[in-house]
Amino acid sequence: MKLDIDEALRYAGVRGEPTEALRRQAAAVATALTEAVRPRYTYRIFAVQRRTDGFYLPEADILLPGESAARMLAECDRAALLACTLGAQFDAMLRTEQARDMAQAVLLDACGSAWVEAGCDEAERELKARLPGAYLTDRFSPGYGDLPLVLQPSLCAALDTQRRLGLCVTESLLMNPGKSVTAVVGLAKRPQAARIRGCAYCVLREKCTLRKGGKHCGN
Amino acid sequence: MGIDFTSGFIILDGAMGTVLQQRGLPPGGQPELLNLTEPTLLAGIYREYIQAGSQVVYANTFGANALKLKRTGHGVGEIITAAVRIAKEAAEGTDTQVALDVGPLGELLEPMGTLTFERAYDLFREMMEAGAAAGADLIAIETMTDLYEAKAALLAAKEATSLPVLVTMSFDESGRTFTGCTVPSMARTLEGLGADAIGLNCSLGPDLLAPLLKELCENTRLPVVAKPNAGLPDPVDGHYDMGPEDFAQALLRCVDGGVTILGGCCGTSPDYIRALVQALAGQMPAPRHYNDVSFVCTPVCPTRLDGVRVIGERINPTGKKRFQQALLENDLDYILDVAIQQEDAGADILDVNVGFPGVNEAEILPRVVKKLQSVISLPLQLDSSDPDALEAGLRVYNGKAAVNSVNGEAEVLERVLPIVKKYGAAVVGLTLDKTGVPQTTEERVAIARRIMDAAASHGIPRVDLWIDCLTLTVSAQQEQARETLEAVRIVRHEMGLQTVLGVSNISFGLPNRPLITQTFLTQAMTVGLTLPIINPNQREMMDAVFAFRLLSCEDKECRAYVARFAGQSPAVQAVPSESGVLTLDDAIIRGLKTDAGRLAKEALATEDELALVERHLIPALDKVGEGYEAGTLFLPQLLSAAGAAQSVFEVIRASIAKKGGTPVKKGRIVMATVQGDIHDIGKNIVKTVLENYGYDVIDLGKDVPPETVLQTVQEQDIRLVGLSALMTTTLPSMEKTIQVLHTLPEPPVTFVGGAVVTPEYAKKMGADYYSKDARQSVEIARKVLG
Repeated sequence: MKLDIDEALRYAGVRGEPTEALRRQAAAVATALTEAVRPRYTYRIFAVQRRTDGFYLPEADILLPGESAARMLAECDRAALLACTLGAQFDAMLRTEQARDMAQAVLLDACGSAWVEAGCDEAERELKARLPGAYLTDRFSPGYGDLPLVLQPSLCAALDTQRRLGLCVTESLLMNPGKSVTAVVGLAKRPQAARIRGCAYCVLREKCTLRKGGKHCGN
Repeated sequence: MGIDFTSGFIILDGAMGTVLQQRGLPPGGQPELLNLTEPTLLAGIYREYIQAGSQVVYANTFGANALKLKRTGHGVGEIITAAVRIAKEAAEGTDTQVALDVGPLGELLEPMGTLTFERAYDLFREMMEAGAAAGADLIAIETMTDLYEAKAALLAAKEATSLPVLVTMSFDESGRTFTGCTVPSMARTLEGLGADAIGLNCSLGPDLLAPLLKELCENTRLPVVAKPNAGLPDPVDGHYDMGPEDFAQALLRCVDGGVTILGGCCGTSPDYIRALVQALAGQMPAPRHYNDVSFVCTPVCPTRLDGVRVIGERINPTGKKRFQQALLENDLDYILDVAIQQEDAGADILDVNVGFPGVNEAEILPRVVKKLQSVISLPLQLDSSDPDALEAGLRVYNGKAAVNSVNGEAEVLERVLPIVKKYGAAVVGLTLDKTGVPQTTEERVAIARRIMDAAASHGIPRVDLWIDCLTLTVSAQQEQARETLEAVRIVRHEMGLQTVLGVSNISFGLPNRPLITQTFLTQAMTVGLTLPIINPNQREMMDAVFAFRLLSCEDKECRAYVARFAGQSPAVQAVPSESGVLTLDDAIIRGLKTDAGRLAKEALATEDELALVERHLIPALDKVGEGYEAGTLFLPQLLSAAGAAQSVFEVIRASIAKKGGTPVKKGRIVMATVQGDIHDIGKNIVKTVLENYGYDVIDLGKDVPPETVLQTVQEQDIRLVGLSALMTTTLPSMEKTIQVLHTLPEPPVTFVGGAVVTPEYAKKMGADYYSKDARQSVEIARKVLG
């Protein structure tokens, strides 16, 4: 698992080439973070049924409505629900750093975002290794496109995230601890386009007709 | 007939939730409602457990709290009464007892979430009262991952009922809970609070829990519970990987570590309990090896007092104008800064004294404890002569605290020791009484013995009594230093107690005070002082502690000493600017905190405070702000400059407080993260920058109800309000807050910001300004307040 410093700096609002000093500062924060906190994740695989009102996961009694889910899951008969969090320890670190040094805190916050994404990547790698022959879609989360945020509590309940990860959803649909991600990953029998991550990551890059025509499938 | 946890083995039940799922219930439902709809199904499961050998079954009440039942249309009392009745009927005619099962509330407590400790207590108390009324035989608080929440539940159980209470928490392989709580912190805090048995449940299988259970047994005298999962769940299909036989065999290894109360959690069933009963046949409880040490802690910072531990003395207003001002202004951020400095300087425990004329200690001490614990991980020593303040502080303290202090007066002992006992704290006993500070060693020791006897009669263990033999000023009473040291020796080596000493007093009125204080500290540690109360920011004092720890073999292989001193060179000088001399403006622009503070002090020799702000601080901040707007500098650099400006402001405030003047303030701004929103770093960024432009920011925090904003604006006549929201789901409460403010005859100016706020939204909501970042907030404040 690796924390991407460039990604973290982008999250911190740095555009273009950062100064060497800023990059070093961010790298030091990243090291302190990755030594103190490991992302935790859990996932579970569910069958997917196509219905007129969306994609339905019967074992979890969850309906994924809308165009985004339809596009992402078009070729999938199963989906993994995934949750990843840096936990309460990260939030405690961030509170302390905000009291100590706001500049460091902003970098820590940004590194946390990059680190929880790294945790999701790791979970996906593990998922791939466990399911030879399955092809994964990009992961997508409530709030992506038209996938509604109100799904958050039922995703967390289906994964029992409070027990497994210490992850709760508040009444206003915020995840607590703060650096947490829930996501859906579609599982298909043939290679899936990198609709979210973009053409550079896509396995279909070389023969994609859309791309040849100067377009992409991401929207 | 009550259950006796202390003799032989006790068999609990296995899972309810996963058994229900096996019988067709989808995951994620509200299983407590089955008490109303499926009593026969539940009774059947209980009977299976009882037949398998369970001596205790947990009623189906895990999530039967008012938060989780809110949208079900059913009340806590209704569900719990039904649940306990079903279990009791199933157990009728057997010796099996019924436990009220109490799980986490489902929302995180402060400071992680917004649920207050007091509200959590009330929610638990409602459950406890209902459970006792329904006839539960005992209470089982389980699956806790936050020690604070476990404390709220345990206090509620103890205060609302007289039933025995088991408390079990969930740990992962790293030996911590999700919130970072350690096994020793859990064990010693919950034992101190009066639990009848403690243990671990859920999260792992018995194989992986065994080492943690052994550690738990070493850290408590109470009977220990193990209720593990049937191994780990398969992510693909959700099945647990351990069968009944393997589970039972693995649990036997936990029995070797000292566990006597056993059952199962997720993935187990009556078959597992049957296998467990068979495996235990002919087994005897293993002997226990309790580690009887002095100890204080927070959840994440277990602190064994098995060497010299430094108590930081700086959180104390006595003789400190700036601190007094902060207390009177309710400026808890200042107190936090003082705490952080001491933690960074190497203190192990922080003394917390907020007693000052005009301050209601019983009201402010718990607030300060909560504030400190939201940021500082060190254990605290609550320092007050007001028993009500001590109780209020101990009640909300997360972990095992110390109390400073009692003395030899009978009335003080009778008033304070019951509080110390109730909350499981350690306590400092001063060797003085009504007649004052004794002049001889013998008299000091006699008072120490009196305090020791009183503590013992209140059930306070010897390891939790720390004696302070009192330092007197050597320039006034020269021979007293020897008396103090001899008393310390006797208390430590003959009575075997921990020893506390406020050291700094010794050198009062003498030149070169650090030399005398440091020498006395070393002398005292040599004769047996274990808990010096010092200013850890004073380098000479911490140097002496590090040297002593090395010479007394506490610092193994000299590691800490070498880390402190190796490669130490003269303080690194900041690189000067192009002109060769570092100016105050440069130091601010480049975010050099220490230099900025030092240069500000120097500048005050020739300029007054206001000039410093107007001529240096604000122009320098503006320059950074312009770079930020132009995209050549970024948020971390803007905030570094703000941090440096903050140290300049601290110098200015201290200088003004010393002269007794009023602080430089350009105008007051109320800031809040709106109700429902718990992520407040954006608001805090804006606050930091505004404060360093000289504005007085009244920070209402996160999850702030509209009414609180309104009330503050009215009471304090505020003209500018900043609101932040992070999520689309909390924008409505931002709008609501603005609407409420607009009911005032002269509404304040509002500015709004946050990840999802746009200029269009801002306008639609009726906000006066949209602020895209901290820099723009400053421009708005300038326009409105000047």
